[in-house]
Amino acid sequence: MAVITVNHLSKTYKTYRKQPGFMGSLKSLVAREYERVHAVDDISFQVEEGELVGFIGPNGAGKTTSLKCLSGLLYPSSGEVKVLGYTPFDRKSPFLKQISLVMGQKNQLWWDLPGMETLLLNKEIYEVSESRFKEVVHDLSKILEAEDFLHIPVRKLSLGQRMKMELMAALIHSPKVLFLDEPTIGLDVVMQKNLREFIKEYNRKYSATILLTSHYMGDVEELCKRIIMINHGKILFDGLLSDLVKKHAPYKIISVVLKNAPNPKKLEELGEIKSYHYPELVFRVQAETSGHSAAKILQTLEVEDVNIEDPQIEDIIRDIFSTQQA
Amino acid sequence: MSNLKSYYLVGRNTWDETVSYRLNFMVWRLRVVLQLLTTYFLWFTILPSGKYFAGYNQSMMLTYILGTAILSAFILSTRTSSVAEDITQGTLSNYLIRPLNYFWYYFSRDLGDKAMNIVFSIGEISVIVLFFHPPFYIQTNIIYLVVFFISLIFAIVLNFFFNMILSFIGFWSNEVWAPRFIFYILLTFFAGGLFPLDILPRPLFIFFQLLPFPYLLYTPMKLYLGTLNINQSFLSLLIGGLWTIGTWIIAKHIWRKGLKLYGAEGK
Repeated sequence: MAVITVNHLSKTYKTYRKQPGFMGSLKSLVAREYERVHAVDDISFQVEEGELVGFIGPNGAGKTTSLKCLSGLLYPSSGEVKVLGYTPFDRKSPFLKQISLVMGQKNQLWWDLPGMETLLLNKEIYEVSESRFKEVVHDLSKILEAEDFLHIPVRKLSLGQRMKMELMAALIHSPKVLFLDEPTIGLDVVMQKNLREFIKEYNRKYSATILLTSHYMGDVEELCKRIIMINHGKILFDGLLSDLVKKHAPYKIISVVLKNAPNPKKLEELGEIKSYHYPELVFRVQAETSGHSAAKILQTLEVEDVNIEDPQIEDIIRDIFSTQQA
Repeated sequence: MSNLKSYYLVGRNTWDETVSYRLNFMVWRLRVVLQLLTTYFLWFTILPSGKYFAGYNQSMMLTYILGTAILSAFILSTRTSSVAEDITQGTLSNYLIRPLNYFWYYFSRDLGDKAMNIVFSIGEISVIVLFFHPPFYIQTNIIYLVVFFISLIFAIVLNFFFNMILSFIGFWSNEVWAPRFIFYILLTFFAGGLFPLDILPRPLFIFFQLLPFPYLLYTPMKLYLGTLNINQSFLSLLIGGLWTIGTWIIAKHIWRKGLKLYGAEGK
């Protein structure tokens, strides 16, 4: 059964423009130019229980707005959203007790008090039993290596530590559906990796449904089988990450290190040259015939080292967004 | 309100939060005391003992001034000033995402804040009584104490909903500070914080009593002093109660409308 169903969801904001400078301020005072922004424009999709889906798109594409509609913060301009059978905007208690939204740049922690106080408050808000609370705090603080700063006022914590506390506060009630908005923002590479492991584990252990947005393709690549690509409020692609590669990048990258400089004319016959800075030469060849191409390259050129690989996800996605914009 | 303990914790956390800014809070209390003393000595000079002004002798006037000052620090103290910020900065999302009632949440914060104010007022009043020997009327009639207590609850709730309504302007505009400022200026005057309202010309006084403001300070104080007869007391309670319920309904209504416009901005 689908945990999340979105049908023709749209969200429009009213906003105004202001010209820079003093005259602009005066003009804005007297006659404001309002305009409508379609943050999300008629999107539909479904997510099954236990799926881990990545929302990707450039800044302002509508990712966060979608998550906010799904978690009941925003009132949709049109369309229908159902999460766990509830309409999110009604914000019914049984619904809110099963979901969580983690926003990398927003804080639900009490700034002047230790993070533990927020956890204890959330324990009461979500009506978590004493034993369950202890278990979850123990587990989470161990995985996130947060034992040391549970009792230090939040304002004294580093950004990374705060993010960990934020996550603990958001997960204290073991939500069935988790919306993560840029969860790894502000974390160092080691913590990013730990957090990815943690998300994967959480998804597996509780068969939780997770929707995440991230700027780091690494997050998406490692965590999500399925991705939803969104730009200008519209869905560009919804499917398996591997299908995206097959569909949009049916090629492979062959990089060689040359022993000596070849005749440039010969090179062009071998395949599409992506870059050439002697001694490094990079070809882009059709995926289906990549074996054949590689053999031909090795026969023709004197090569010290050769490497055949799939294109970088990041490159593919950049290609898609840039062609779409053009 | 499904879970009392969570709101108790909100109140307690607010208390703890205030403690972590002790100095700030003490300076704020100092301001309250200075303000009190200014009004106190103003009336002390205007109204020499033995003289009457609009039916008030010095002792009655000073009791009123001292009393409303203490009450206002308690009734008007609120944490709702951050509600508008929650809305315009998008931090409101952190409350909406959790199964808690935003009104109860902030009301609990107000109560935690008031508790802290009470503790400090007790200390301050002791000092003032010790140094200035002001007239201090202790009400012993149980009926007057009961109606006073009810009017006090009305005043606290009324002030809370007033502030929430003003903060909800944040859903429509980022400029919430100006209306709030005007409200506070009007408030001290209309609520009777500077002088007892019944020294005003009678028609004006009657008109004022139909407004919600007197029920924040003037009415509770008059009920405490027992200067209204039983009928007047109950009429005051009735109008005060109606305003309290009225602002509650308006606040809820605006809240629901505002949420549909809420943009969860700032990320």
